[in-house]
Amino acid sequence: MAENPGTQALSDLWKKQIEEGTQAWAKLMGQGQAVDPTAFWRPFMDQGMAAWSKLFTQEPVTPDMMAQWKRFLDQWIAAWSKVLEQAMGTEAFAQALGKHLEQWLALQAPMKKAADESTEATLSALGIPSRSQMVGVARQLVDLEDRIEGLEDRLDALRGRMDDLFKALADHETAAARRAAGKARKRGDRTGS
Amino acid sequence: MTGGSAKAGEGHGVQADLLAQGQEELSRNLLRMQNFATILLNQEEPKVGPTPREEIYRKNKSRLYRYASTRRHPTPLLFVPNLGISRPYIFDLLPGSSFIEYMTRQGFDFYLLDWGVFGPEDNHLTVEDCVTRILPRMVKKVLESSGARELSVLGYCMGAPLSASFLALYPDVPVKNFVNMAGPIDFSQVGLFGCWLRPKYFDADRFVDTLGQIPADLVKVGFKLLKPTMDLSTALNLWWNLWNDSYVRSFRALNQWANEYVPFPGEFFRQWVKEFYQENRLIRGELSLRGTAVRLDTIRCPVFVVGAKEDNIAPPACVRALIDAVGSQDKEYVELPGGHISLIAGRGASIHCWPKVSTWLAPRS
Repeated sequence: MAENPGTQALSDLWKKQIEEGTQAWAKLMGQGQAVDPTAFWRPFMDQGMAAWSKLFTQEPVTPDMMAQWKRFLDQWIAAWSKVLEQAMGTEAFAQALGKHLEQWLALQAPMKKAADESTEATLSALGIPSRSQMVGVARQLVDLEDRIEGLEDRLDALRGRMDDLFKALADHETAAARRAAGKARKRGDRTGS
Repeated sequence: MTGGSAKAGEGHGVQADLLAQGQEELSRNLLRMQNFATILLNQEEPKVGPTPREEIYRKNKSRLYRYASTRRHPTPLLFVPNLGISRPYIFDLLPGSSFIEYMTRQGFDFYLLDWGVFGPEDNHLTVEDCVTRILPRMVKKVLESSGARELSVLGYCMGAPLSASFLALYPDVPVKNFVNMAGPIDFSQVGLFGCWLRPKYFDADRFVDTLGQIPADLVKVGFKLLKPTMDLSTALNLWWNLWNDSYVRSFRALNQWANEYVPFPGEFFRQWVKEFYQENRLIRGELSLRGTAVRLDTIRCPVFVVGAKEDNIAPPACVRALIDAVGSQDKEYVELPGGHISLIAGRGASIHCWPKVSTWLAPRS
């Protein structure tokens, strides 16, 4: 769809706004300062609202607006993605994530243990093979498959050696036959002369 | 024509344009609603993996597939993707959006190693097992079934460091060419995952000892966190293109893949995180598998490395590192537009990446 200059100007304004906003956020996060979202967002939102009202009052609502709006949202998402990526790449975030995972694991470990034990006990009482027993059997099958493959490999190696041996034997026999034929020819020559 | 009538004509033209645009938008909105209803009502999974293939070999959960092809190039190509995380049908998603389909049409004798979905019984599987037990067997089967004396290996994502370790460990294996697509090699430059998995913040031992297998949901959280706005932009793009049947078809297939995560075997995860991410042993030449040092400089075959400009899983710098590490004379690095997935899957890939790989590989195959 064709762009008209009015909406293009608004698009540029919006883009500029996003860039300034993301830079401010990135700066705040990089400096490790406490972020006050309400203080930061007020001018940002005011500016955004002004841009939108300008868009609706000065420009007729045309189908082109949809494309513009889509572009605004794409830029907004891309800008936030950038900000989040920067924030998540910091040591502080990695540390916080690590702590969160530690806590999750600390909570998970006893829960998992209790759940495993109770399931095991229930299945055992019902005379049904438990998960660990099934896993054990599956593991044995995997080991068995490995052993069979090991045997296959050895057989292949053995077959290779035997092939070499047969080839050497065949070469030897050919050479012996050639030698014998040579000797016979010589003997024949001698008796002939 | 006078100035006034010209202006009036112009005005009529603009109005006609607006009317046409309005009508177009209206019909698109109707189509959007129709397709939205179809998505909601039709829960049938889209058919993926259209290229015909046959299973050549299976080892535990892993499968080796050979794809139908004209086989114009005598050297077969073994494709080694990532283990865990996601399923490999992304490489053969739909007709016209398939890397495998493209490569087979170019005449490559294409083999795919599908590592499979590992269960708790496979928790003892390590990186070492993959490199020294599974890969050698797969290579052997490729050579046996193709009847070729040599093969090319293409590693994608985690498949690249695994293949590179295999090549370095077994220099006698007849690998004619090696391609690394978006495979991390220097883990000191691996981006956000590298930062989050630092030993002081992430205790891999504790994770594996507690959980055993690393569940698919946890893998999903990790990858979603890497790009938190992804779902939002996906939803927005879907709404925008909802009128387009072909887009919707691709979206459904891609969405199915994007939400199908695969768990990691515990010991594999432990070794992968500790020795690759945390200690960066591969590029340092400190990786040892089955008591043998893995030295990348022993790789002497032609090497082609492809990095993606916007890759946040394996950023270009960590992929490119392979070029300086190998002992090959014939080596080339290209950096293409796209992210980790869009490098190899999707419309951009069919324009930028697939022809590059094919063009490099064809004369060497």
